[in-house]
Amino acid sequence: MSVLADIPWNLILPILGLQLILMLVALIDLIRNQRTNGPFIMWIFIIILLNIVGPILYFIFGRRQS
Amino acid sequence: MSILLEATGLSKRYGEQKAVDAVTFTLDAYTSTALIGPNGAGKTTTLSMLAGLVTQTEGSIAFEGSSDRESRSHIGFLPQYPKFFPWLTAIEFTEMAAKISGMSAREARAESQKTLEFVGLGDALNKRTGTFSGGMKQRLGLAQAIVHKPKLLLLDEPVSALDPVGRRQIMNLLKELQQQTTILYSTHILNDAEEMTDQLLFMQHGKLIDQGSLDDFRQRYAEPKIRIEFEGTDELLRFVQTAPWQVEATGSIGWIDLSVENSSMQDVLALLSTGRYGVRKVERQSASLEEIFMKVVQ
Amino acid sequence: MKGFGVLLQKEWREQIRNFKLLWIPLVFIIFGILEPVTNHFLPEIMKSVGNMPEGVEFPWPEFAPKDILVSLMGQYQSIGLLIIVLAFIGAISSERKSGTATLLYVRPLSYSSYFLSKWTMINALVLFSVWVGFLAGWYYTSQLFGSIPATDVVAFLAAYSLWIIFAVSIVLALSAWLPTGGVAALGLFLTMIMAILDSVIGAYWTVTPWKLSTYASYILMGSMDYPTFWKTAGLTVFLIILLILFGTYMAGRNAAKTTV
Repeated sequence: MSVLADIPWNLILPILGLQLILMLVALIDLIRNQRTNGPFIMWIFIIILLNIVGPILYFIFGRRQS
Repeated sequence: MSILLEATGLSKRYGEQKAVDAVTFTLDAYTSTALIGPNGAGKTTTLSMLAGLVTQTEGSIAFEGSSDRESRSHIGFLPQYPKFFPWLTAIEFTEMAAKISGMSAREARAESQKTLEFVGLGDALNKRTGTFSGGMKQRLGLAQAIVHKPKLLLLDEPVSALDPVGRRQIMNLLKELQQQTTILYSTHILNDAEEMTDQLLFMQHGKLIDQGSLDDFRQRYAEPKIRIEFEGTDELLRFVQTAPWQVEATGSIGWIDLSVENSSMQDVLALLSTGRYGVRKVERQSASLEEIFMKVVQ
Repeated sequence: MKGFGVLLQKEWREQIRNFKLLWIPLVFIIFGILEPVTNHFLPEIMKSVGNMPEGVEFPWPEFAPKDILVSLMGQYQSIGLLIIVLAFIGAISSERKSGTATLLYVRPLSYSSYFLSKWTMINALVLFSVWVGFLAGWYYTSQLFGSIPATDVVAFLAAYSLWIIFAVSIVLALSAWLPTGGVAALGLFLTMIMAILDSVIGAYWTVTPWKLSTYASYILMGSMDYPTFWKTAGLTVFLIILLILFGTYMAGRNAAKTTV
């Protein structure tokens, strides 16, 4: 418990929050757009599993306009 | 009739290949012209040059007597496969198009609304174009081409990619527009051209091989031809066997198409009217555009 | 400049509806926060996870607050530029390739309005991202390391912004000039790689846009030789204008290459 208490949550939480927002934006766009370069499912995993980098990769390489 | 556009010796070369080769024609105001030819004849390149998208290698284009680039505000262009920014809605797109062509914001708004309703997209004004089907895109393409009230409408294969219903609807819209503006459209489907044309331009291998009105062509190329419907096969056979001259005929059960020289047409009709053969109907056939086209190309 | 407003509105809608106006600033803010936080906690993390021999003290350098902002700029110079180049290298060329540009080019469009509307929107978006990223980093740095005077930060950001505008101008001019594809590599070379090369081998010349990021850090540290900086800034502005003229010309010349 003392380990958890040592972590300065007030500093870490905003980062986690922003990462979550970035991930959600990417997921919402992915689901709304439905079109991707490469398999749809693969991009879901990339966005969720790769922190920060996943959504960036999706927006730059995965996103496809009709 | 006043001349709206005059193309003189228009050529476009891509490297060694001549896509369009010394094409000369004029478009009179408020007429419809069909640009006909097989795929790869140079129709799209010709339209692109007239639209100001591609610069000609040789020749000149005069729009209302001048070759100014500003003439573009008076031209509407519909490519064969119009592409739209998928994140814009239909009305946002036509409004932008109208404004770039010089309309005020208010006018652009009003005209966009009116035009989209005219092409049948009244329910989809605020839908993003990315969700549009092929037929809807074609309608939107037509809308953006006419929203700024152009004097000249250039349409590249406006109905080729559509299903029969969509094709009919777009053709009907075009016929309405015919009264308001000058239209030049390309097609490789001859039935479409037959339906709406004052002038025909035939293209092949980049060259304009013939031009004229549909009636011109019919007179020039059509042999007089009549279709005779008989009461039965016996009567038909009797006619073919006993006719006093060599007839070149094609036909089917109960009828034949008869090609005869003009001079003997009277004789044929006289013979038929004697009542010796059971004739149900005699009809004068005019050559179809397809037949004319085949003859022009050969 | 006919039609600039209409085209700018189109660019604005594009950046909003493609979520670029959301995700690019977010990424820059996240990096802006991560830099001071990781630098602050890295010694502890190293201590807890590293299997260092008993009694050996890892000589972790003591960071001054300003060092953190400089090292954040280092992040933006690598991953930041990578994102900027890849996100915007198709701004003009992909409109040509997809054919969406055709219905614009057949109209009486002013190519300077066309190019400048993109230039303005992309610069605004990227500068906004860089500034909010640095502001977030500055806030965390002042919490964890100590304060930095606002005037220093603003001067630093102003100098760095000039570099960003230069980089965006390169990317857009390339997009107007060349088809999509390998051009992204050229874009990365002319921004990211050239900046690295210039700092490594460019000891003999001082006035080049690729030294602007280094000079921005000198300004922050208070060690900038200002005559050199103003010459550099002047040259950069001149080159930006040339890039805009070149891009406008190329956008017009390549209009015929749009897919019909």
